[in-house]
Amino acid sequence: MTALFDSLQFIYAPQIINGLSIGVAVILMALGLTIIFGLLDVINMSHGEFYAAGAYLSVTLLGLDLSFWLVLVLVPVILFPAGFLIERYLIQRVFHHRDRHILTLLLTFGLAIVLEDAYRLVWGANPMRPETPISGATEFLGIYFPQYRLFLMAFGSLLILGVWWVVYKTPAGAIVRAAAYDRDMSASLGVPVKAVYALTFAFGVALAGLAGVLLAPIYSVFPTMGKDFILLAFTVVIVGGLGSIKGAVIAALLLTQLQSISSLFISPVWSDPLVFGVMVLVLMFRPAGLFGGFKNG
Amino acid sequence: MADAAGRVIRRTEYILLAATAILFVVGLMAGDTFFFRLATESLIFGGLALAVDLLLGIVGLLSLGQALYFGFGAYVSALLLKEVAPSFWLATGAVLAASAVVGYLSSFIALRSKGVYFALITFGLAQVAAKTVYNTRELGASDGIIGIPIVVIGTPFGGLDTANAPVFFLVTLGVIALLYGLTKYLLATPMGGIWHAVRANEARLPFIGFDTLGPKRAAFTLAAMIAAVSGALYPMLRGFVSPELLYFSTSGNAVVTVVLGGVGTLIGPLFGSALLTGLRSVIGTWTEHHQILIGLIFVAVVVLAPRGIVGIAIERAKRRAGEQI
Repeated sequence: MTALFDSLQFIYAPQIINGLSIGVAVILMALGLTIIFGLLDVINMSHGEFYAAGAYLSVTLLGLDLSFWLVLVLVPVILFPAGFLIERYLIQRVFHHRDRHILTLLLTFGLAIVLEDAYRLVWGANPMRPETPISGATEFLGIYFPQYRLFLMAFGSLLILGVWWVVYKTPAGAIVRAAAYDRDMSASLGVPVKAVYALTFAFGVALAGLAGVLLAPIYSVFPTMGKDFILLAFTVVIVGGLGSIKGAVIAALLLTQLQSISSLFISPVWSDPLVFGVMVLVLMFRPAGLFGGFKNG
Repeated sequence: MADAAGRVIRRTEYILLAATAILFVVGLMAGDTFFFRLATESLIFGGLALAVDLLLGIVGLLSLGQALYFGFGAYVSALLLKEVAPSFWLATGAVLAASAVVGYLSSFIALRSKGVYFALITFGLAQVAAKTVYNTRELGASDGIIGIPIVVIGTPFGGLDTANAPVFFLVTLGVIALLYGLTKYLLATPMGGIWHAVRANEARLPFIGFDTLGPKRAAFTLAAMIAAVSGALYPMLRGFVSPELLYFSTSGNAVVTVVLGGVGTLIGPLFGSALLTGLRSVIGTWTEHHQILIGLIFVAVVVLAPRGIVGIAIERAKRRAGEQI
């Protein structure tokens, strides 16, 4: 019996907590993706590069001796207008085309190519790692957890709740959901649909940037960091159902737990194929994901 | 195909052929190797782009993971050439057969989905394959497979040495032209008609009595085979294969090539590949950051001229002929 508890306490618990902190980060990425898709019907292939943008900006700003907490506020504030402009002046130009899905996907994909090489040009190809803003560890049930990871989980959960609250409990969220449900009807009732589109896209971009700032001290910062992370975020969004916030949260927690617990038994190298296998299974039996879009609920 | 679009495509074919012939003669006289190898590479990646265009431009399926089949062909070919026998016919024949099986089987996963889901599934499939190869020591892991022997292609008229740059260029030209001709021929068959119809309005086809899944599966398998055969030539050109061939950048570049050249024109991707390979080589002499420029060009093409270069030419010819665009 003690052996069982020991393995629970010393092997499973740290792994579950680790998985949770990754899960929270993935949710932050997936939320932006899924909201942008839910409202604009756009698959944002450059979402990973916005995440990287947040991480790189944080490296630069921290290098200017700004405090981490200030950077945490500044980066989304910088990225928000960038996202707004990209939606207004690039995405809107192909938005009304017959092949909207494919063209917007290609456009954001092109943007990703440019951004990734721009990072290499400006910051170099070598990985960088900002110092962990909160050092030390906390003892909990006899195991030590890095405090920054605990902070990440708490802060991330608050953010997720905040996003949920904005989308479902505020007038602004109601407008976004209405525009997603019926664009023309909303427009004729006086909703400035174009502005809502640009603002929502900017919101998603800022969220990805925030995830970049939060994760930079854990995963380090390098040009392809977005691409490495985005597959998991896409998988989460597909499994949860494109456009569903609830789905993204549940799928992210499920899949990251699956990854971290399975890596106790099989080489972590195989965790990507495993997660991807789950996605294929979900698509085979529930092609629209576990939960429908956010305009429905 | 006596319409405006057909005429433009025919003209582009002639222009490409004439340019190839002129450059070939000039290259031979100059005794060049570098540019022949570059041109061969552009043809090989043109074959990959052709596969992407068959799916995207004809059937309307955006594949973001065509590098999976390209890399599969390259690795199978490399292993056979190195471990079994340095035979061109064995390598290409085996790749053709194996890629037909792999393409057919993976179509059961990829074609479960439509639209953006299809794009993401193909992206994911390729990503998983790339990571698996990257982590498999038997396949050389991150180093890939090096030391692939020089291949002499046995023909009834004597051996063709692939180490001879102009000769291998002609061989590659022949293979890619064959793939191009086959695809173009299939477009004129009833199945080609259904492919076009799937792109135009997939939902309506079952109502008028046509099965769409079968033709889509055929197109997907064919595209996998085209990409794999193109990939099979790669180790003969470079003497090595590496996991980069399976990476997203390879798939992505193929999509860029197709969009730049002209979606749905088939000749456009070959044209685009020649253009991009040339551009990369020229920019590469100034800076290693050629991706930025290519990306910017790509964004500009998507925003300003989503039909691509050949597509614009077709649009103009149609307007002049008074046809509906």
